[in-house]
Amino acid sequence: MACLRQTLEMTVTAQSSQTMTDLELVRAAASGDAVAFERIYEQHRRRVYSLCARMLGNVEQAEDLTQEVFLQVYRKIGSFRGDSAFTTWLHRLAVNQVLMHFRKRGVKLEHTSEEGDFTNVVETPLQSTRRISMVDRLALERAIAQLPPGYRTVFLLHDVEGYEHEEISSTLGVSVGTSKSQLHKARMRLRELLSKTTSNAGE
Amino acid sequence: MACQEYQELISDYIDGTLELGEEARIERHLADCDGCRAVRDDLLQIVHFSRQLPLHTPSSEVWTQLQTKIAAERPTHFGSRVAAWVSRLKNLELNLSVPQLAASAAALLIIFSVALIISRQSAETPSASSLAGRSGTAGMNLLSNAEDQEIEEKIERLRESVEQRRVTWSPELQVAYDRSIRQVDQCLATCRQQLSGDPSDQVSKDLMRDAYLEKQRLLEGFTKF
Repeated sequence: MACLRQTLEMTVTAQSSQTMTDLELVRAAASGDAVAFERIYEQHRRRVYSLCARMLGNVEQAEDLTQEVFLQVYRKIGSFRGDSAFTTWLHRLAVNQVLMHFRKRGVKLEHTSEEGDFTNVVETPLQSTRRISMVDRLALERAIAQLPPGYRTVFLLHDVEGYEHEEISSTLGVSVGTSKSQLHKARMRLRELLSKTTSNAGE
Repeated sequence: MACQEYQELISDYIDGTLELGEEARIERHLADCDGCRAVRDDLLQIVHFSRQLPLHTPSSEVWTQLQTKIAAERPTHFGSRVAAWVSRLKNLELNLSVPQLAASAAALLIIFSVALIISRQSAETPSASSLAGRSGTAGMNLLSNAEDQEIEEKIERLRESVEQRRVTWSPELQVAYDRSIRQVDQCLATCRQQLSGDPSDQVSKDLMRDAYLEKQRLLEGFTKF
């Protein structure tokens, strides 16, 4: 028990150190320290880019948007108060940039499936749960890219990025019920897409 | 309840957001229904692997282009950032308690001064004491028009008025006043230093003028005590 407590204390200390390092970097960057800003970019670029790439489904647009996110970070970093983790602040900024991008392009996120109410229950289970394997992470990525924008956004925010429904609701301007409904529809659509992949692979 | 209705609850069940009664009902159904159980297992797999998706790396071109955009923006960014800070100074509420008034003004002026020094990348940075040692009226010939001279005269009158009141203040108020004036004078000294090196530096002139206005506001605030 003492060993476990010590391990937990070390973990908390390490996390605190990491948090303080983030804050120190942010303060330095806000003061004009170019090296500090570059470190912030290096630490967070992959997560921001991955979010943009999966949301947009287009590499070129994702790189443009990643640039825009970090340009906004550069402009607004002085306003970061430290009342939330920097990663949270940055992530919200990235999500807002994606949503603005969607709005500019007239992409509506509120629509449900193009078939209307969900009726397409997949009754045949996937061949085996072992078929969704490390290799098929690629199939999962491809399937996510095929989701309608509204489903994809909610799914990525909840299942990939770890947002709660309340936060998705306030971010997207939809009800919690809509967020839950779209998440379920996204998951069922992915199940359908992955079952087709599995079936094709078995042919 | 039909299987379709149960399946529509499976995501909430997986995420643990069902009411206890509903959760129990769906568990009873899952125990007896292969089809719904398969849906549950498949969705669990999807959720599990979604949380482990790898991070992708953008090309180096993203950083290159970002640097170009930042470099193009930097002078404006600096000017607008400092303008925002000065604007915040102007919006300080005089009904703040003394420590808040002085601390806010002092903190913002420190940031203002540091930003000015760092962004100009001065090779030689005089010590704070040497900067602060200059009187409030030194270097006033750098602001030469009639309006600026009027500000200077007003500041001097305010300063004399405040100095007369100062002796009646509490020690805490005196300390707050001294610290605030010291900070704004440091800021002014920084601007003077920049202008002495480059008298045509319009940004520093504008900042210096704003700093004088803020000094005036600060003194006006302290005349109320």
